[in-house]
Amino acid sequence: MTTDKTPPERAAGALVRPFLSGASNGAGDQADLPVPDGALRPFLLTAGRVAGQDSIAIETQVVTTESGRTAVERLGFERRDIVSLCGDPLSVAEIAAQLSLHLGVVRVLVGDLSADGHLSVYLPNSDASTDVDTLLRVIRGLRSIG
Amino acid sequence: MVSAQSAEVGGPTRRRPPLPVKLVIAGGFGVGKTTTVGSISEISPLTTEADMTAAAAGIDDASKVPGKRTTTVAMDFGCITIDESLKLYLFGTPGQDRFGFMWDDLAIGAIGALVIVDSRRLDDCYPAVDYFERLGLPFVVAVNRFDGAVAHDLPSIRWALAVDDAVPLTTFDARDKLSVRDALLVVLDRALAKARAAQTDQ
Repeated sequence: MTTDKTPPERAAGALVRPFLSGASNGAGDQADLPVPDGALRPFLLTAGRVAGQDSIAIETQVVTTESGRTAVERLGFERRDIVSLCGDPLSVAEIAAQLSLHLGVVRVLVGDLSADGHLSVYLPNSDASTDVDTLLRVIRGLRSIG
Repeated sequence: MVSAQSAEVGGPTRRRPPLPVKLVIAGGFGVGKTTTVGSISEISPLTTEADMTAAAAGIDDASKVPGKRTTTVAMDFGCITIDESLKLYLFGTPGQDRFGFMWDDLAIGAIGALVIVDSRRLDDCYPAVDYFERLGLPFVVAVNRFDGAVAHDLPSIRWALAVDDAVPLTTFDARDKLSVRDALLVVLDRALAKARAAQTDQ
């Protein structure tokens, strides 16, 4: 992931996003804000680390391990929340939504908890989306919706 | 502990997770993406914040654009349990009409995409059509019948969008569960045809 630490140069009118109020006023307005780029803020939870998250797809399934269940009381804040939440398998996207955490933050924390043995992370099979049998199963499943 | 999805699960976990597959629901702002997800998802659509790389629409490679930046956007999604070992996720692209977005996070590994179109604002879907064409992801253009009406007939819409004849064009009602199901099935048919063609080539 690339997060611009400095405000990007804004050629006049070239990158005006209507949903960023004041974004069209040039770089000067950035100095007035305590956090120059809102996108950076969530990563305080991960001590600024963003590496490794690309390998964990948003649909990746996560389950708490026995070690995680044992350790849950010793874990802090968001880590505890994630381990508590994943008694049944959940996707990374669902974890982020249910805990109101940025997706990138969840990826880093899930990576950490997995490295510590508190979570099992099941990387999705990248061939599933082009596998004929899997697609036929999805078609059957959708057709059964009435 | 990171395991491949196909790997044996060791003792510590209680339940083997389902294999996740995903579809992308794309289109311009206010076109009915969240409504579409909500009509068929077994959970109320969830929202999460994610980073997307933004670039001016029509630019092929964001990495070559000096002004590109990563921006945080809200993304809606839902899911459908196909069977006990297979779960379908529906990810809605963040609604943006003035910029092309790099939706790689959503699109890579996806079965395909449903590009929703409001026939009164056809150009809003151009970034999505461009993106999926470049990516080679199977996609279907689905005109949302707001209030039962479509402003133009389908051949006119196809002409205006300049999509290949092989790309299915359909109409649907985002508020209607079965209509959404049928639109998703068109995407699945397209993905299946592509998968079968690839199988034959081998």
